Amino acid sequence: MTEKLVRVLYVEDEPDIQVVARLALEMVGGYTLEICSSGKDALIRAPEFKPQLILMDVMMPGMDGPTTLAHLREIPEFATTPVIFMTAKVQPGEVAGYKALGALDVIPKPFDPMTLSGQVQTIWERRHV
Amino acid sequence: MSEVNELQLMLKLLSQAYAGQLPEKIKQIEQSWRQFPIIGWDQDEFLNLHRLVHGLTGSGKTFGFSALSDSARELENYLYFLGQAKTELNAVQRDKVSLLLAGVSLAANQPDKPGSAQVNLIPVKAVRAKARNTRRIFVVEHDRELAWELKTQLKYFEYDVKLFYTLEDFRRAIRQDSRGVVLMDINFPEDPLGGVHVMPELQRNRQTPLQVIFLSSHSELEVRLEAVRAGGVAYLMKPVNLGVLVDKLDELTSASVAPAPRVLIVDDDVNLSNYHARVLEHAGMSVKVVNDPLDVMRPLQDFSPDLILVDIYMPGCSGLELAKVIRQIDAFVSIPIVFLSSETNLDKQLAALVLGADDFLTKSIEAHQLVSSINSRIKRSLLLRSFMVRDGLTGLLNHIAIKDQLVGQIAQAKRHARSITFAMLDIDHFKKVNDSYGHPVGDRVIKSLSRLLKQRLRENDLVGRYGGEEFAVVLIDADGAAAMKVMDAIRHDFSQLRHLAKDQEFSASFSCGLAEMKNFDNASRLTDAADMALYKAKHAGRNQVVLADASYPA
Repeated sequence: MTEKLVRVLYVEDEPDIQVVARLALEMVGGYTLEICSSGKDALIRAPEFKPQLILMDVMMPGMDGPTTLAHLREIPEFATTPVIFMTAKVQPGEVAGYKALGALDVIPKPFDPMTLSGQVQTIWERRHV
Repeated sequence: MSEVNELQLMLKLLSQAYAGQLPEKIKQIEQSWRQFPIIGWDQDEFLNLHRLVHGLTGSGKTFGFSALSDSARELENYLYFLGQAKTELNAVQRDKVSLLLAGVSLAANQPDKPGSAQVNLIPVKAVRAKARNTRRIFVVEHDRELAWELKTQLKYFEYDVKLFYTLEDFRRAIRQDSRGVVLMDINFPEDPLGGVHVMPELQRNRQTPLQVIFLSSHSELEVRLEAVRAGGVAYLMKPVNLGVLVDKLDELTSASVAPAPRVLIVDDDVNLSNYHARVLEHAGMSVKVVNDPLDVMRPLQDFSPDLILVDIYMPGCSGLELAKVIRQIDAFVSIPIVFLSSETNLDKQLAALVLGADDFLTKSIEAHQLVSSINSRIKRSLLLRSFMVRDGLTGLLNHIAIKDQLVGQIAQAKRHARSITFAMLDIDHFKKVNDSYGHPVGDRVIKSLSRLLKQRLRENDLVGRYGGEEFAVVLIDADGAAAMKVMDAIRHDFSQLRHLAKDQEFSASFSCGLAEMKNFDNASRLTDAADMALYKAKHAGRNQVVLADASYPA
């Protein structure tokens, strides 16, 4: 039985990408979306927003994706919240590395705004099967 | 509008915004790279550079710049490699970074082709193309005197002229990517049809053929035929009639872009009206939004729309009432009013039509339908209006239209505390021109002055034909001194033009009177003062510009 995905937290520092992601996830996907511009911001706002799923850019100034994930896991209520990394992956083996860190999956950037929510949904459903 | 279309439109708008920011982003990257030390290793600057490049890798394709993502990724990969060692870069490494960076910069100008990326699906008319600057003219003429004369004369019409006296010089100078119009003499000493014969070779392998106007003293059909086959778009007999030539050049270079049509949207729904505004702006229109129908009067006068889009149900004043009011203002009797409504009831639609609505659009209209129905409405109305306000010979505003405009512009300038100068011009001894050379020649002189005025004044200045050989100009945002400078330069250049009548050449001049709004604050005083200044200019010997004294009429 799959829980319906509604609340998505997206952590991304690039304003351009934030706007297009909002379109892609709210308009196309129909999710309730919260966007944070930094890992730190995400750690502060997550407890209140209570996301079911977190999308996170890997490379951000200040606290990067993997570090944010590590801190997030220290908060009891987010110990198992699924996290998907978004990355313009550069190195082979990078994806495997992120999964080893506890990421549910990795969505490559640049993403296609028309299909992003489909990808998210697929990953979400696959996990709960 | 369907959600998919709306989404695609928004994506397209976003990708345009992204494209607009790219030059700045590239500049930042280049700057960061310039700051990176030649000696040693600066980890902070390196991370900054890496982050900036990474941003492009991860975003380009999303906004329809696939090539940018690819080339940024290439650079990023290499930076990653360099970042492992963290040691001073050698010359080869530096060169490679510069090279890859150049590739990124290049790709920032290469959006994906329409259709290949999802962000480009929506069929909205492209923003008006900027007139490509092809005001370059290549004159190939072995008669040096004639060539020089053409150059001098065309310069007054703001053409950039390059001269070639031999075919060989021209052949060597012209390149694949040369753009411009070629004025080619046909007869050269080495070959009586040399000008025609040289063209096929030059046209070969060109993506866009050179446009050629042949100048010839042969009128035989065979020669004309050869000229057409060589890519000639016009064939002018010598001696060259400058008026005809400039007309042709204007047509080929189409330097004048029609101003963007103006649409006024009156709708109390802020979101929807902003959305419609964005759709129409995107299609190259200039849009003003009014959310309270009671605020409509000022934008109506100031913005002077070509079409009004009105929501039918609004608090305070319904769209129907508003249409009635607007129709009662003289200047807007003929403006197209289009209702926007969720109303599908035919009776109500009919009632609206009786009250002066020109069309009904439902609120759920799709973006491209909105654009195309507004576009066709405006086109028809502008065409109709042009018959009413334009002078047939010159295409300038006619007497009534320029007077109307003057009144409107004065009101607007007062509100914005700006200055206007009004100019009256009269061609000197014009009756003599008509009597000596005939009316068709007189008409050409009038046309050449109107063309010069249109080309030399700014786009928002208003030029009208006031009477037979009399012209009026409203110079916006110009005080007396500025207007004097502009009009005097035009006066000088006009007096240097050579007009052709049969085999005779002659020149003409004009006198001009100027009056500033700050001294004469309504239309009739301004007109009188300019007229008086014109009278003074005539009496002082003609071919001069006179600024009306502030004390007149005292």
